[in-house]
Amino acid sequence: MTYAPAPSTSRSSTTTRSIRSRVRGRSRDHATQERAVLVLHDVTKEYPNGKLALRDVDLVIPEGDFVFLVGPSGAGKSTLIKLLIRDEIATRGEVVLDGQDVARLGRRQVPRMRRKIGIIFQDFKLLPSKTVWENVAFALEVTGTPRRKIRPAVDRVLALVGLTAQAQQKPSQLSGGEQQRTAIARALVHDPRMIIADEPTGNLDPLISWEILQLLLRINELGVTVMMATHNAEVVTALRKRVVALEEGRIIRDEIGGAYHRED
Amino acid sequence: MISFVLFSFKRAWQGFWRNAVMSIAATATMVLMLLLLAGFWIIQTGLLAGLQFTEQKVEVVAYLQPNTTDVQVSDLETKLRGMPQVASVTYVSRDQALAEFRASMAAQGREDLTRYLDANPLYASLEVKMVDPSQVRVVGDALRDDPSIRNVINIEDLVERVLTVTGILRTAGTVVLVIVGVIALFIIINTIRLAVLARADEIEVMRLVGASDAFIRWPFVFEGAFVGFLGAAVTLLILLAVADPLSAFMADFFRVLPLQFGSLTRDLVALVMGAGVGLGILGSWLSVRTYLIR
Repeated sequence: MTYAPAPSTSRSSTTTRSIRSRVRGRSRDHATQERAVLVLHDVTKEYPNGKLALRDVDLVIPEGDFVFLVGPSGAGKSTLIKLLIRDEIATRGEVVLDGQDVARLGRRQVPRMRRKIGIIFQDFKLLPSKTVWENVAFALEVTGTPRRKIRPAVDRVLALVGLTAQAQQKPSQLSGGEQQRTAIARALVHDPRMIIADEPTGNLDPLISWEILQLLLRINELGVTVMMATHNAEVVTALRKRVVALEEGRIIRDEIGGAYHRED
Repeated sequence: MISFVLFSFKRAWQGFWRNAVMSIAATATMVLMLLLLAGFWIIQTGLLAGLQFTEQKVEVVAYLQPNTTDVQVSDLETKLRGMPQVASVTYVSRDQALAEFRASMAAQGREDLTRYLDANPLYASLEVKMVDPSQVRVVGDALRDDPSIRNVINIEDLVERVLTVTGILRTAGTVVLVIVGVIALFIIINTIRLAVLARADEIEVMRLVGASDAFIRWPFVFEGAFVGFLGAAVTLLILLAVADPLSAFMADFFRVLPLQFGSLTRDLVALVMGAGVGLGILGSWLSVRTYLIR
């Protein structure tokens, strides 16, 4: 099995020094390049009500990958994401994130593990009473980041998503695309290993959806692994990235450069 | 550590004011419940004081033989004072007894018939106040055995009946206070729970961005403590405002009762503050816990 080539650093007009340095480190060290950010090994999830959400799922996502997770509603996409952030624990099998079995993490380690993942949702989950800047800074404040480090980090990610001008606006004053970019900035501010996007374009019109996709691709080029669950067939088919298709809790397809639907 | 505490305080303060309607509703509920609790507590304290006063009235009266000498009387007094059940002993001479009788007749507006008598018909007596009224039988029996005692008024049965009634009233008062306390507890905790529930989104975001449990919990706990403190302070201000008219009314109503308002105030402040802050903290702790344990 081969994966998409490591993203080039040349195009990165990045303002993110830490992300860039990680990318440079990767190209020097071949072993790191092959290292998987996420490994699911024979994962089965059965809910207490007896519903089998995932069955024997095997999945390896190497660092720097861009993966579309597709499948009908109820196929197990949300469950898979919940397992990754340890909102749920697999009934059987292992979920290994950045070398750590998430099921074995102690309660104190779970928050640290979650800081390695940035999550983006369809409904943005921004706090309406806070400005764009405060929403992003919030992610650092509540994890005990010293004040002097918060300002440069927030300014940096807001520049990255192109929201510097809107920093002092409240989410209600923003367009849907700007709100989603705020959420992306918040997901990035911890300098995560991986971005998980759960239907990030579900509430957005096609043009804005492409804008968000461009942003996610750019973040991926900076070396951050991206996994995006989506129903947006047009986007998936056009981009020809790795596609993992779930159906009734099983992976029915996992192809590099795939389309939204099976092409036989 | 200090920055964590500062952060929690800041977040608690922001949380309170950014959800002002919810916070004020929670504080108002807290005030009402604490007023209810404090009100019942004051009634209970008054009731206990009244019962104690009634029980203090219990005394054993022993009439002395007419030929008893002063030495015998003082020996008997010494012996009684040595008994652990006895609080105080008062000697009432025949002349004093007659004077008291005449005074009580005059107070009731009845004719003083004793002036038709040649001599004082009354006996000298010892009036024994009890430490614990239920021990009245022990003291009565001891006195009956003494040769210089003519007779002891038999009040044991009466005392027992009074003690049964006061016991029931005490228990009833305590039960009512406990019930009111439990009601206040549940309503306050539930109100705080609603205030926390209103911010479930915020807690979810905190969880998702990797905030540790302490960072999620403590701001809410501080906020709960703040709501409790504010509620208790408002309650105490209200009680202070009504204290003077209320104590005037109480003094008027329970004219005879030796109510001590100094200690009442101190205990009341402790009760209201303790219940307010304590329940605020408990309520937030329990409410946030629902979101933390998965």
